[in-house]
Amino acid sequence: MRFFSFHLMPYPGLPPDYDGPAWITCPNSFYDPALGGSLYNRYIDELLLAEELGFDGVCVNEHHQNAYGTMPSPNLIASILAHRTSRVRIAVVGNALPLYDPPTRVAEEFAMIDCISGGRLIAGMVVGGGPEYYSFSLNPAQARERFAEAHDIIIRAWTEPGPFEHIGKHYKLRYVNSWPRPVQQPHPEIWIPGVGSLETLEFVARHRYAYMGIPYFHISVFERMFKLMREACRNEGYEADPLQLGWLVPIFVADTDEEARRRYEDHFWYFVRRLLPGINISPPGYTSVRSWENIAKGAASFALNLQSWDEVVAGHYAIVGSPETVAEILAEDVERMGVGNLLGLFQLGTLPAEDTTRNLELFAHEVMPKLRAAFPATGHAAAPLAAS
Amino acid sequence: MTALAAGTLETRIGAVELHTGGEGGPAPLLYLHSAQGEGPGMALLEHLADSRRVAVPLFPGFGSSEGLEHIDDIEDAAFHLLDVTERLGWTHCDVVGVSLGGWMAAELAVRWPERIRRLVLVNAVGLYVEGSPITEIFGRPFGELADDLFADRDHPLAQLMRTVADTLEKDPAAIPFDVVRPFLEALAATAKVGWNPYLHDPKLLGRLHRIGAPTLVVHGVRDGIVPRPHAEAYAAGIPDAQLVDLDGAAHLAALERPDEVAKLVLGHIGD
Repeated sequence: MRFFSFHLMPYPGLPPDYDGPAWITCPNSFYDPALGGSLYNRYIDELLLAEELGFDGVCVNEHHQNAYGTMPSPNLIASILAHRTSRVRIAVVGNALPLYDPPTRVAEEFAMIDCISGGRLIAGMVVGGGPEYYSFSLNPAQARERFAEAHDIIIRAWTEPGPFEHIGKHYKLRYVNSWPRPVQQPHPEIWIPGVGSLETLEFVARHRYAYMGIPYFHISVFERMFKLMREACRNEGYEADPLQLGWLVPIFVADTDEEARRRYEDHFWYFVRRLLPGINISPPGYTSVRSWENIAKGAASFALNLQSWDEVVAGHYAIVGSPETVAEILAEDVERMGVGNLLGLFQLGTLPAEDTTRNLELFAHEVMPKLRAAFPATGHAAAPLAAS
Repeated sequence: MTALAAGTLETRIGAVELHTGGEGGPAPLLYLHSAQGEGPGMALLEHLADSRRVAVPLFPGFGSSEGLEHIDDIEDAAFHLLDVTERLGWTHCDVVGVSLGGWMAAELAVRWPERIRRLVLVNAVGLYVEGSPITEIFGRPFGELADDLFADRDHPLAQLMRTVADTLEKDPAAIPFDVVRPFLEALAATAKVGWNPYLHDPKLLGRLHRIGAPTLVVHGVRDGIVPRPHAEAYAAGIPDAQLVDLDGAAHLAALERPDEVAKLVLGHIGD
């Protein structure tokens, strides 16, 4: 069992009277650069704290033209973390490969982070969210094939001696010869986040990568997703390693259940009602027809449809309470879903620095040890899962 | 009213759904549908088939037509349609194109002008006109889109779109998949050729002078998708073109106003 602290770096300053989407068309006049600068530094500190507190890793991710997550380049943040930490794994979850042209840019930047960190990078690769295809005017009907081709180029750039030529449908690269090369051999561990598209599950299983379930659904959606992932691995002729499965979930710990809800609830609703609207736009051709049915099964339980705190609790949309409560719920969920990576969102929406710090400390001191005892570490960390 | 019969046509990239019917006229007539994939059972086509041989191939991704994986841009679409006309055995035909189909008709006509006798473009996309953007169609709620497409809110297809939109919003899994599937596939096919550049080909305007066929450009005055300057640009760029405004008609005039559109088409292509 590995524990990660995941940060979205949200923007908490949307005007109270704005009720539009937080994505694509959310006016950037709402962005205050001075506030933004202090937020970046604060959020980086929150990630650095995770190393001090004994987490196994930290996670950052990529989103564009939105208030939900202000890291258009997670690699910039990851490089700071690489320099300022010495032990934690640094998971970039991920780079949206189709948005990098040529995708050798990803091979280069990830290799830089892996070198600076001494081989601590976890390389996440993602198709990119639906809104990104609007923000980049990139054809969503070609998203999957671009992703697959870009992935192949990056892996070859890391594992084959350069220079070589790649002439594919979307990328024609006459000289692929990435400098630097990654420290981890044959390449860094690879994570793929997803919401249950069958193509993605099969891709991850085939390559023996790790699958990260994207949050904000009812817990039953994750259960089904991880079950499908295990089936996909079985179809490839092997049993999934728990370290191939990751669950991303908002967590908030306070001294008592009552205090936890009191301190957290408003910030959670800011996140759900102000930052999520617009995230779920699904551009044409982005989801294959065969995956649509599977994704549609979960769509009704997406957090945007939440009406009450009782629903949040019942569906495990966020795990909120005293250290005892949080440990108990997480232990049950981790057991039931069979995941080997727990990715906690410890800051969410407008949650202030003080509450975030306290949350991380309580979790690390009073929850993590219980879970570590309940789920003894399986052999992990250094060896890339792709080795076999 | 002459009914069209459904069949299939083998093409280079797969079998496409083909609706044919009628006889007569100086040349057969090819109808190229909009992003709605209209065709089967359409009054306009049955009207035209009374005096014409009519063929309606559904574009890859629409209906049961295969081959979308071989289409990546509008040029692929044009070459596919050339293949379709050749396999129909037509060296010379009249073409009626609506919206997306109008764009495809124009791309066909600039490349192989000798194959087209008369051309009708109804609310065609395909051009970029500074200051007059084509309304966004991708990712809009279907109900909202229906208001841009139809003049009559109570048109059965407009009602279906609103129903699907309401259900999609609340619980996508509650809609029978067979109802949603055509909408998803039609939009995905349209995105293949029209996501970016958005529903236009930057080179088309400069090639319009190649079109030799007398052309009728029809603009629905209440079209919520394509502003009139697009019809003006087509009419100005095509050497022998005439622009007609259809009062009270919206984007899908071919569906909503079959009698008037049939009269315009027949008037233009003559006997």
